[in-house]
Amino acid sequence: MQQTIALFLDAYRELNSKKLFWITMVLSVMIVAGFATVGLNEKGLTLLWWEFEFPVLNTTFIPTELFYKFMFAQLGVPIWLTWVATILALVSTASIFPDFLASGSIELTLSKPISRTRLFLTKFATGLLFVAMQVFVFTFACFLLIGFRGGAWEWRLFFAVPIVLLFFSYLFSIQSLLGLLTRSTIASLLLTMLIWFALFLLNTTEGIFLGQREAAVLTLERTNARLEVEEKKAAEVLAKRKAAGEDLLVDGKLPDGAADELEAASYPLRIVRQSQKDAVKAAADWKRYYSFAFAAKTVFPKTSETIGLLDRHVINDEDRAILRRFSEEVDGRPRGEREDGKARRGDIDVETRVEDVLLTRSTGWILGTSIAFTGIVLLACCVIFSRRDF
Amino acid sequence: MTTLPWAIDLTNVEKVYKGKVHALRGIEMKVARGEIFGLLGPNGAGKSTLVKILMTVISPTQANGSVLGQPVGHKPTLAKVGYLPEHHRFPEYLTGAQVVDFYAALAGVPRAERKRRTPELLELVGMKDWGSTKVRGYSKGMRQRVGIAQALACDPDLVVLDEPTDGVDPVGRREIREMLMRIKEQGKTVFLNSHLLSELEMVCDRVAILVQGKVKSQGTINELTIDRQVYEVEVASLAGEENADALAGVLTSRTGARLLAGRAEETSVVTRARRVGVTGELASGEAFEIDHNMIRVKSTDANVMQPIIDALRERAYVIRGVRMVRPSLEDLFMEAVTDPSTGAALGPGASRN
Repeated sequence: MQQTIALFLDAYRELNSKKLFWITMVLSVMIVAGFATVGLNEKGLTLLWWEFEFPVLNTTFIPTELFYKFMFAQLGVPIWLTWVATILALVSTASIFPDFLASGSIELTLSKPISRTRLFLTKFATGLLFVAMQVFVFTFACFLLIGFRGGAWEWRLFFAVPIVLLFFSYLFSIQSLLGLLTRSTIASLLLTMLIWFALFLLNTTEGIFLGQREAAVLTLERTNARLEVEEKKAAEVLAKRKAAGEDLLVDGKLPDGAADELEAASYPLRIVRQSQKDAVKAAADWKRYYSFAFAAKTVFPKTSETIGLLDRHVINDEDRAILRRFSEEVDGRPRGEREDGKARRGDIDVETRVEDVLLTRSTGWILGTSIAFTGIVLLACCVIFSRRDF
Repeated sequence: MTTLPWAIDLTNVEKVYKGKVHALRGIEMKVARGEIFGLLGPNGAGKSTLVKILMTVISPTQANGSVLGQPVGHKPTLAKVGYLPEHHRFPEYLTGAQVVDFYAALAGVPRAERKRRTPELLELVGMKDWGSTKVRGYSKGMRQRVGIAQALACDPDLVVLDEPTDGVDPVGRREIREMLMRIKEQGKTVFLNSHLLSELEMVCDRVAILVQGKVKSQGTINELTIDRQVYEVEVASLAGEENADALAGVLTSRTGARLLAGRAEETSVVTRARRVGVTGELASGEAFEIDHNMIRVKSTDANVMQPIIDALRERAYVIRGVRMVRPSLEDLFMEAVTDPSTGAALGPGASRN
């Protein structure tokens, strides 16, 4: 145990000696201070002593407490902690393994009565200390902000600490493996950034394909509904024309392009049936493309969705309903109401469906598959570290 | 000596690196408890590889034997082994005291003991006043002293020091030598790897010379040099090979010695790589050589020299000196690393198969 404590104490001393650690810490506090200067009243937004009137962005629609929680879950964590602070954390921790493995340093550590696997995993855990301290300070400051300015002491904010830590552990495991293989701070940092970008692209691609799939399925459903209506209309027309003794055949044949009597009786039906065929094909294509993207995504860590979990846990159903009403108010129409029969990306119904699909993804699946990936990377690290001669 | 329990007992230690670089070729080595043992060898002989195998930094291709009674590679045993690697690098953000405390903690030394031992050890290595200064402000010698302190922090039974006097001034070297003797007095074993042969000679009880991944010789300095002890008789007013022939004539005619064939092609009985003028064998069987005005007889018995001195005096030779000469550690080292057939230095052991 004292070996573990010694390694953590050493990691803290190392962090303490790095300017970047303190710069990031000060920036975190400054960002929370920045949040604190923004307020909400019954008229609109306030910034220090200035007041900006907004018809919907005021306490009539959004309680102050939710406004700050929303800023924390939608801006503070996804932008500051997930991007800026994570990049700073990767820069700060990139040298941990290359320095640890440097000649003259590694010999001393390996000659101690501590197994290599334990040594590696403890060192990995100490690397997470940077982020743990940053997130804790940021979250605690936000907790105080929401408590004092919003009047609510929201303990669920502290979910951010394990969630952001898990998110960072995905990247740090990759960085550790690269540090172990290349023994170069710059190489491991740049390659990790590149892989992070690739994961971001994969997530974005999967998100786009999901949107396209939902749009195609929605279009198919709407086309099917229109087809049902058109077939009814055509049947009525056909019945009337037959009742009137009208002959639908031309020279004993159906008119050009008509597949049956119904189509012969209704030209729009022909168009809708063709659209339906196209919609079936498009839906099948997008389902296939999406399944490939989803399979690829399943294997890799889900960075965006892990951070998205915070939104699920901090913003409850009641808060979500308030935000939805606010969104409808801004949009000028209730969610779910169609403007026309066509579904397209950006359609509010598609967005709702995509949101619903994302919400059906369990925390177990998101974290389980991501942790499994991290576990495999760490296992590879342990095997390499245990077998390598230094 | 053989009844002593061994601190290090190695048999058939092999190391072949990736790319078929054969660094160690069946090392056999014994280090007794309570002694200072010196490991010598030229660059590339495999010394660092051997030390790293003992400290589990690298894994051997094959190794039998034990360290402090446990198999090589047994991690818990390392709690009682102190180690100072060559070219060590301590975290720059730590102070000297923190370095000692940190590595002691990794060795499993309880906190209370670390707190007690750290200032003591810093005082022992002469760094008492520098314990609270960060390592980045240390000179190389100061880092070396702190390195020795951290190697002793776990109160080890075995201390492995790789070039401990590297970068240390002459005063510091002397202090380190005295420190090693004190460590030995406490019953601890010291395994020393150094290029400074004169220093090793001063402190080591036993040495091993590693050449091309093999132990060329090992034992006490006395054991290694006793069979190479010679008596030298230096006569005056002689110069050139003709005089060596004249001296050879005296020995053969007056003492019954006989010359060996192939003279001048033979090698010295002292330093085998060196060519000499005349070689032969005394009537009593001892080998001798004559090099210019110097007669060397390979013997530890002074009686053997008496007939030679008598014969020289009879022929009115002026004897400038008679002395017993034993080769230095440097002589042994040079002999071990020199190819006797060519007189050239042997290549490094880490050769490809």
